[in-house]
Amino acid sequence: MNSERDKKPSINSRAGKPSSELSPDYLSLKDTIEQLARENIELSSKYSAAIQYLRNKIDQLLTVMGTTPLKPEELDNTTLIETDPIGIISNSFVQILKHLHKTNEKLKNANQEITAIFDSAGAGILVINKEMKILAFNTKLGEYFFKDKTIFLGQPCYETICNFQNPLAECPFRKVFQSGKTLRLTGWVINNRYYDIVCAPINHNNGEVPSLILLYLDITEHIRMEQALRQSEEKYRDLFENANDMIQSIAPDGSIQYVNRAWREVLEYAQEDIPNISVFDVIHPDCSECGQAFKSVVFGEKSGRVETIFITKSGRTINVEGNIGTVFSEGKLVGTRGIFRDITERKKAEELLSSEKERLAVTLRSIGDGVIATDTDGNVVLMNKISEALTGWSQEQANGRPITEVLHLIEETSRTIKENPVSTLLKSRQTITLSAHNTLLAARDETERLISYSVSPIIDRQSNIIGTVLVFQDVTEKRNTEEKLLKAEKIESVGVLAGGLAHDFNNLLSAIMGNVELATMELDPNDKAHESLSRAEKAIAMATELAYQLLTFSKGGAPIKKAASIIELTRDSADFALRGSNIRCSFDLPDDLWKVEIDPGQISQVINNIVLNAVHAMPEGGQIHISAGNIVIGYDHPELKQGRYVKVTIKDTGSGIPKEYLQRIFEPYFTTKHTGSGLGLASTYSIMKRHDGLIEVASDFGKGTTFSVYLPACLGKIELNPLDVEKPSPEKGRGKILLMDDDEMIRLTAGEMLKQIGYKGVGAAEGNEAIEKYKTAKNSDEPFDAVILDLTIPGGMGGKETIRNLLEFDAGVKAIVSSGYSDDAIMANYRQYGFSGVLTKPYRVKDLSSVLRKVIFHK
Amino acid sequence: MNIIEFDIRGQICPSTLLTALKAINDHSRQITDGTVKLAFKTDNRDSMGTIPESAANMGYKTTVTKKEGYYLVEIGSEE
Ligand SMILES: Nc1ncnc2c1ncn2[C@@H]1O[C@H](COP(=O)(O)OP(=O)(O)OP(=O)(O)O)[C@@H](O)[C@H]1O
Ligand SMILES: [Mg+2]
Repeated sequence: MNSERDKKPSINSRAGKPSSELSPDYLSLKDTIEQLARENIELSSKYSAAIQYLRNKIDQLLTVMGTTPLKPEELDNTTLIETDPIGIISNSFVQILKHLHKTNEKLKNANQEITAIFDSAGAGILVINKEMKILAFNTKLGEYFFKDKTIFLGQPCYETICNFQNPLAECPFRKVFQSGKTLRLTGWVINNRYYDIVCAPINHNNGEVPSLILLYLDITEHIRMEQALRQSEEKYRDLFENANDMIQSIAPDGSIQYVNRAWREVLEYAQEDIPNISVFDVIHPDCSECGQAFKSVVFGEKSGRVETIFITKSGRTINVEGNIGTVFSEGKLVGTRGIFRDITERKKAEELLSSEKERLAVTLRSIGDGVIATDTDGNVVLMNKISEALTGWSQEQANGRPITEVLHLIEETSRTIKENPVSTLLKSRQTITLSAHNTLLAARDETERLISYSVSPIIDRQSNIIGTVLVFQDVTEKRNTEEKLLKAEKIESVGVLAGGLAHDFNNLLSAIMGNVELATMELDPNDKAHESLSRAEKAIAMATELAYQLLTFSKGGAPIKKAASIIELTRDSADFALRGSNIRCSFDLPDDLWKVEIDPGQISQVINNIVLNAVHAMPEGGQIHISAGNIVIGYDHPELKQGRYVKVTIKDTGSGIPKEYLQRIFEPYFTTKHTGSGLGLASTYSIMKRHDGLIEVASDFGKGTTFSVYLPACLGKIELNPLDVEKPSPEKGRGKILLMDDDEMIRLTAGEMLKQIGYKGVGAAEGNEAIEKYKTAKNSDEPFDAVILDLTIPGGMGGKETIRNLLEFDAGVKAIVSSGYSDDAIMANYRQYGFSGVLTKPYRVKDLSSVLRKVIFHK
Repeated sequence: MNIIEFDIRGQICPSTLLTALKAINDHSRQITDGTVKLAFKTDNRDSMGTIPESAANMGYKTTVTKKEGYYLVEIGSEE
């Protein structure tokens, strides 16, 4: 305080300074004092005025500084001046001004920054006033709307931007002036471009809105992209919905995310069903691995092609095929997606095809012919069972091999290799049919078979050859049969010749035999001639046998059949043939053998011939085995009618028959023996044929031969033929017999024979004579008890016509037919022609006696 | 950083303001530098309106803390 007081005089002194300067003229002291007093008053009033002025100014300054004015009691004038508030405040002002200056700098910078931002903003910025006049716009906005115009600030925005004459009443931005609220518009279209616009009012503190700031953002590209995206999405949706394949998206828990129309249609679900079902409703419950498969897809273990079975809402099953994959989003599995196709139809078609294939395969397999199919290169693609058997190649082995390797064809006569018909066809492109009997198929094991074949191209719908098919048959058997037929014809013609010869020969033998027998009977039992006669009789027997054999071929040599057991017959015939040989013969003839319909004489001759040949084939001795069995032949036998047969097999261990002779042994006169006639098997063959039977031969050259004969079994009741009962010795009879024969020698011999056995014989040379004599005798006291009629009378009425005439005259005529042709139909069926008995020439006394006894006395 | 303390308790406005302004003027350089901070203890409530505003106009930063029986007005640079 003291220091402040000390400064006061300095102010006074300074204040007094001008007053000393105000007295340039030295006045009277009084005046001076008065003057000074006045001046002092004046000065002090001026001082206080100055002080007051200072205080006022200080107060004024303090008010500016925002504080209260100085209170006079607070500071006296001296302290006031000492304190120097003005100095303090002006110093503070300096600082305030400095600070303001700094602030102004900053503001200027900020303003520049804002301007830069304003211009470089990515959006267009427009500032307008209430009259819609442009106050400011940035570069971007200029680019947006004023590209080709020069725009002056103050021009209305509706003219320059919207291109209207007058402001629009409904202009939304105008309303912002009233509302004072920020307005946002999106997709606002100006000049075909889209803008997002934010219109913010620039609010003044008084709530008035003098201007608006509009921010334009060009979103045209964005919108266009959105549109493109939407379009592509629509396209995709369209594809998705209209796809014919079933498309599904399944969540990891099996629930369905979305499916397309095809999926719903095929599986019979409506759109509203979808949220309530899961993939497990669709996977077939029987398909246990399907559920598992879905899981493995979910766990990413599996993807790609799948084939599975779906079940529809109604329970139908559907085979589907498709692709599935997993869908990941940000590394997490969000589901599986699958596209499936209903392949039920295709599956069915495949099954149909495979069953068709199966059917074809079975058909092929059951075809009796060999079938081989090849491709266009002639490589085997298919073989059936028969072709496998015939070629010796299996389908597996032959597959893909050239047919020339599988099918070896040889020209039979030249034995050269034939060109394969498949190759020929592939060259000529024409069907080849060949049935000529000269192609041999050599199988893998080198057995050869005669075949006929045909090859056809396999042609597709476009008429292209896609392969060939070769069909072939084994015709070896057929040719054998044909050859046999040929042979039979040959035998037949020989038979005709032999028959003619045998007829005459037989008559001669009958006469010789009759006379030799008569001579024997007439001779004294001790006569030496007996020996010669018996030798003659043996020779006659052999000659008869020969003649009989010849006769077997002759026409009309039908067997006189009856039901008989072959057991005894076989045994006896074999024994007979074996006499005098050292061959052991075993029999296997079961008791239950069926009776057969045979001519016992002929069949015993068959057995005899075969056994005799066996004996001849074993000059060093050996074994014969004869067996028999019942056998039923079906429809398929080439040479035998269907029915029941007894098969007799005669097997020897002899020399066997060379292959090249096998086919010839049945030919007449074929023999390998010096003394053989070659008629044994020929007549055997003929007999078997006439019995509706069969003879077969199989021979292993060097080891032995087996002959088999098939005899037809008789089915009905077996009727015992009275002829069966043979009487061992001639017995005496009584009666008158008419004997008709063209051969006088026969008439004489027979007449003698009749006499021997108690009958009276009357001869007739031919039919008319016989009828005449019969009629005459009938009307006399001594009619004929029986007539014996020769069947064949050259140049006259034969037995057949004679009996007809006799029957007309006398229905009770007892007639016996006689002929050397034992296999003549009339001989076999004599009763049908009105005969009561049959007599085969040549006959012995006992034969004559026996037949007469039967006919006349029914014994 | 130095803190120069002025105890102006008992003074009232405008004297307090003038004292504060004088102190600010005297140390303005150091305050702006950030080497000095001024601290005024005052019990005059009116000064709370004047000192901080004047200091702010001069570009300084003022903090006022209410203490036991007085206010502590600190004036420093604006960071
Ligand atoms: N079991 C057999 N073993 C070997 N060869 C046989 C046998 N049977 C027949 N043959 C052959 O068949 C040929 C014809 O026989 P076949 O019986 O027709 O006449 P053959 O015996 O020669 O004369 P024959 O007229 O006297 O019987 C015989 O010469 C013989 O070569
Ligand atoms: Mg023989």
